[in-house]
Amino acid sequence: MELFLQTLIDGLLIGGLIIVVGIGFSLCFGVMHIVDFAVGEWVMLGAFTGFLLVSYFGQDPMIYLPVLFIIFFVLGWAIYPLIYRAISGKRHNPVLMGLVFTFGLSILAKGGALSIWGYHIQSITTWLSGKSLALGPITIPALRFSGFLFGILITLLLMFFLYKTKLGITIRATAQDREMASLLGTDVRKVGALVYSLYAGVTGMSGILIGALFSIHAAMGVKYCTLAFFVVVLAGMGYIPGVIIAGLILGLLQSFVGVYVGGRYNLVALFMVMYGVLLITPKGILRRGI
Amino acid sequence: MKKGFKLILSVLILVFLIPQFGLAQEKRDFFKVGVVTSLSGELAFGGTVTKRGYDLWADTVNALGGIEIEGKKYKVTLVYADDQSTPATAAVAAERLITQENVDFILGPYASGTTLALAPIAEKYKIPHITGSAESPLIWKRKFKYTFGTIPAVSLIAQASIQTLAKDVTPKPKTVAILGIDDAFSKFAAEAFKMSAEKEGFKVLKYDIVPEGSDYTPQVSAIKALKPDIFAMGSHEKAAIEMIKIAKELKFNPQAFVQHYGMTTPDFRKGLGKDAEFVLGTSVWTPNMKHQATLLFKNPKEYADAFKAKFGDEPEYTNAGSTAAGIAFQEALRMIKAKPPLTQENKDALISALEKLNIMTFYGQVKFAVEGDFYHCNAGLQPVAIQYQGGKLVEVGPGKLQVVAPKFPTPSWDKR
Repeated sequence: MELFLQTLIDGLLIGGLIIVVGIGFSLCFGVMHIVDFAVGEWVMLGAFTGFLLVSYFGQDPMIYLPVLFIIFFVLGWAIYPLIYRAISGKRHNPVLMGLVFTFGLSILAKGGALSIWGYHIQSITTWLSGKSLALGPITIPALRFSGFLFGILITLLLMFFLYKTKLGITIRATAQDREMASLLGTDVRKVGALVYSLYAGVTGMSGILIGALFSIHAAMGVKYCTLAFFVVVLAGMGYIPGVIIAGLILGLLQSFVGVYVGGRYNLVALFMVMYGVLLITPKGILRRGI
Repeated sequence: MKKGFKLILSVLILVFLIPQFGLAQEKRDFFKVGVVTSLSGELAFGGTVTKRGYDLWADTVNALGGIEIEGKKYKVTLVYADDQSTPATAAVAAERLITQENVDFILGPYASGTTLALAPIAEKYKIPHITGSAESPLIWKRKFKYTFGTIPAVSLIAQASIQTLAKDVTPKPKTVAILGIDDAFSKFAAEAFKMSAEKEGFKVLKYDIVPEGSDYTPQVSAIKALKPDIFAMGSHEKAAIEMIKIAKELKFNPQAFVQHYGMTTPDFRKGLGKDAEFVLGTSVWTPNMKHQATLLFKNPKEYADAFKAKFGDEPEYTNAGSTAAGIAFQEALRMIKAKPPLTQENKDALISALEKLNIMTFYGQVKFAVEGDFYHCNAGLQPVAIQYQGGKLVEVGPGKLQVVAPKFPTPSWDKR
């Protein structure tokens, strides 16, 4: 029973991290129909930037979460015109163009990080590192728990923004029918820039949490790119509330398969679920995706 | 049409003949050494570990004027190709070095998976190849004629820390749980832990293999629930760091943490800080060893000093193994008195010379096995168990190899 409860907690906490990475990716896809291959590299760049901030200015890495959001929001805003150019105009297949462009960005970011920060594996420590809450025989690692709360909080904030504010409703209208929104006076380019910047800000910010939990290196983004794809497929492409459920399901799946079936079957289980969802319910488990 | 045909014919003639002339006319007075290793991707850290070892060999040889063959010195030039941490790219990179760069011989990749992809290419083009890093026994079981390795297979050396825990500590631990990463090296490290644990009378409570890049928390939780005395991990450096971090988060307190390779790297120590303390591992070389040599570096200390002066870090056994791979080539070339560029005859003679090689280096003895399951592996080195004590790696066993007594049992995380 103890192991079952611990596995449940581990799964939920892993799910929290998946939500953190998947939420911005889902927003970006849902609104702009951009499949951003560089999602993992935003995490990596966030982790390295956090590492640099801690190295230069000291203090606890968690303090830099808002700073990272601003840095990556601005970076996303600066990059967006290039993406807009790649996906607009007389392109035959804008989604594919976006995919290719961001794949290029991902390679550039990986190579750039390797050149700038080198091959070393870096680590950062927060005051939460190594601390845990004990609930009887169950251990809840404090840093993972804060990551979980962070994921839920960001998702709720984004949902509030999208469903309860005028700008959010404009974004949703653009996501539903880009041309109609444009005809009604919405500046779709600005909406796109805002969404991409939000996505970059949230994902870059998550880098410092992930960096503190695991390790920081130029190639660390690859696995988060895979996870983001998994979560978006399961949640329903572009359906933000589904990200919480999808993230938790993926976390629990990893945890229970890892403990009760065997670690080597983790990826098999994830792929089987993903293919199953794509075959049976391509709009995601809640049937609310695109 | 006729004009077009002539043009195509001319181009084809040029394409086929120019490289032939190039090969035939190549004249150089230096050895061109191909190096395939991971300079980008997941294994870039390890790739750089090998690169540093190879670079130090080449720079030291060149500083002395080069490799002396019949009174004349020939410098060495390293030509790097990045395998991007993937086996398929390693094979392509090796093919390019052989067919386009016309390298004389190859110093091999960091990882076993990439080495297993490169070895058939070396075989196909009959070009000598020594890996200064790869440790998977799979490489040697395949009996590649043109591939050699300076570090003994992990199945021969990983047992040192388990033996130390069986013989050199009291009270003797009784149980072990093993977690390995699913790659050509790490799962054999885990397998070696399992075999030696069973041989030493430990009860293996769990043996699990997980994919690289997973979140290892559920597996560590499952192992924690079994309360093993020893937690042994087969992995490269990143997973080695992450598993210790997870163990600390989960307040998992076995009597001993055992790893093999990752814990020997400077990044492990820097990344974990004082949490690296008490972790046990295995090495076939440390700067404190007393080998006496006449080739290039007189002893491990001289090598360590040269390494530190060049790179600012302490060397570990993969750095040393990579430098020793260069020394092995250097001595084999002297034996056959081959001058650059090497002909195919020279390359075949180089293989025979490597098979006969028996030299004492700063790294220890280099003598490649010529039969059995460890064919062409430098299988004879004595592994030593090492442990972080006071921020430094010290030799703690097994038996007579002990310099400092192992610190055992590991204190719980809240008492450190």
